Amino acid sequence: MSDKFILLVEDNPDDVALTLRALKKNNVANEVIVAGDGAEALEYLMATGKYAGRATSDLPEVVLLDLKLPKVGGLEVLRAMRTDPQTRLLPVVILTSSVEEQDVITSYDLGANSYIRKPVNFEQFLEAVRELGLYWLVLNQAPPVGH
Amino acid sequence: MSKEIRDSAILNPASDTATGITEARRQESLLKTGALQNAIFNSANFSSIATDAKGVIQIFNVGAERMLGYAAAEVMNRITPAEISDPEEVIARAKALSAELGTPITPGFEALVFKASRGIEDIYELTYIRKDGSRFPAVVSVTALRDDEGVIIGYLLIGTDNTARKQIEEDRKLLDQRLRDQQFYTRSLIESNIDALITTDPHGIITDVNKQMEALTGCRRDELIGAPFKNYFTDPERAEAGIDLVLSEKKVPNYELTARARDGRETVVSYNAATFYDRERRLQGVFAAARDVTERNRLEEQVRRRTVEVEAANKELEAFSYSVSHDLRSPLRSIDGFSQAFLEDYGPLVPPEGREDLERVRRATQRMGQLIDDMLLLSRVTRREMHMEKTDMSALAAEVAGELALGSPQRDVQLTIEPGMTTTGDPQLLRIVLVNLLGNAWKFTSKREHAHVSVGTVQDPEHGPAFFVRDDGAGFDLQYKDKLFVAFQRLHGQDEFPGTGIGLATIQRAVRRHGGDVWAEGEVDRGATFYFTIPDLHVFYRVKGEQP
Repeated sequence: MSDKFILLVEDNPDDVALTLRALKKNNVANEVIVAGDGAEALEYLMATGKYAGRATSDLPEVVLLDLKLPKVGGLEVLRAMRTDPQTRLLPVVILTSSVEEQDVITSYDLGANSYIRKPVNFEQFLEAVRELGLYWLVLNQAPPVGH
Repeated sequence: MSKEIRDSAILNPASDTATGITEARRQESLLKTGALQNAIFNSANFSSIATDAKGVIQIFNVGAERMLGYAAAEVMNRITPAEISDPEEVIARAKALSAELGTPITPGFEALVFKASRGIEDIYELTYIRKDGSRFPAVVSVTALRDDEGVIIGYLLIGTDNTARKQIEEDRKLLDQRLRDQQFYTRSLIESNIDALITTDPHGIITDVNKQMEALTGCRRDELIGAPFKNYFTDPERAEAGIDLVLSEKKVPNYELTARARDGRETVVSYNAATFYDRERRLQGVFAAARDVTERNRLEEQVRRRTVEVEAANKELEAFSYSVSHDLRSPLRSIDGFSQAFLEDYGPLVPPEGREDLERVRRATQRMGQLIDDMLLLSRVTRREMHMEKTDMSALAAEVAGELALGSPQRDVQLTIEPGMTTTGDPQLLRIVLVNLLGNAWKFTSKREHAHVSVGTVQDPEHGPAFFVRDDGAGFDLQYKDKLFVAFQRLHGQDEFPGTGIGLATIQRAVRRHGGDVWAEGEVDRGATFYFTIPDLHVFYRVKGEQP
């Protein structure tokens, strides 16, 4: 289980800290890779730019993707992932503040696997992260790599 | 007349004794003269008055007696015809003749015969005065009677009663006047029309126009009449097609064409045209009225532009809402999250008052989060595109109430929902209405051990069929009922019943977007009833009425 890692795409350092704290609180010990914007996330996944040379088959168990990101937005990241054969089936959980109907629809349209709105209340957030970790890291059967 | 002559001849015994051709001719001549004289003097239809050279009446025939009411004996050798004529007319005639002929003429008998005395043929109108003083118009023909040397020995005045002809003339004048009035009326209607009016024959040749059409084309009426209708438009083919369309359809509304005036000025006009017929229902042509729609088109264009602007503004609003949703909530999450982190990590090091302060920070944060969410919902209700469909309100109410019951399992709320309630509306907005109303009912009965909430329909005397949601909770003071639906207005303290004061404003918007209305009744501590109408509820009522 420890080789299963999470890619967290989040530009807000507070949210990063709180998410990491919530994961830790819920005893999710998996490694978390943090990408500060959409461009970095794509470089990581596609092993380009500063991640050039990384094995493209080495993929996270799940991507936690914020929508409002600098440089390349979350929906753009999702679209790029879904057109790349390597990341086409990679589970993506949208983790965002927005409940705009259009965002929800577009996210699912582009192939998001789940859509979670970050609650203001930290206890609720904790619960959400707990369930999320349990589901995607433990219960969910990930697609085989390369398909 | 010729018959009378023959009759006279038969009566004349001289005609029987034919003694030679000359004698026969003489006889015949005499016969004719006598017969003519008889005919003339016995005719009741002509007044024949003969005078001597001075004008004194010598002969006054039967016709004259009949027309003028005098016996011949009363006038013969006594008066002149001037004395039975309108004296003013005689004076006027004398004046006119004096001027015309350049010689003074006495206003008397001379005025009546002067022209004839100079050998000028003279027939004129004159008013004769009868013995009883009454008058009648006459046409008088005057002839001078001369002897063998050509010296005037008298005058013959033959007159006819002109009354009937005068009457006919009067009648015709009246008719003509009426006809002119009628034509003027029709014309003024045509001219006072603000539309440019035009008639064409069935071949599209202009037969009439009004001033507005002259203005539209910059051409005069006489130039337009006789010219093809299509000549005055930027698209002659379309203009001609318009005429053909009227001829085949009999009536064509709102046919747009662009008229081009002589000076090149173009005007967009909308034609309403129809065929017109004569009394025998024979097709006469096309009658068309063109209205200048430049202004209308300009307004339409303005509306289109405004719509685009409004849509752009809406997009901006959406972007703003998105930012609010994301950007305002984000720091709130940090405040709440790190407050909690602080409490967890350093709580034991802080005195209880400090921990309490931080808990207050967290509560305020969460309340602000709720406010933002409610405002976003309100804005979504306002901008949402409506998708109307038949909605089962009973099922929707049951579903919403089920969620509420699940959220507070410790509560004892007895719920009654009228079965079979349906309406046509936007299901999402209707859901928001019920979530808020039932949510309020749940909230304001939270201090009741056993609460009752019901959802149903009523026939409101003022608003017609309406839905209602009723509870037996805290209620409200009716004097504040106007404040209920104003955003951020609350009738209860936060510690009593928490809330943002946006829910009812949201309901009101959702209902009004359906064209409906919302209102409330209540009493402190005796519960509240909220009513709302969705205008097509009558459909439901009719169906319900048919199946009792």
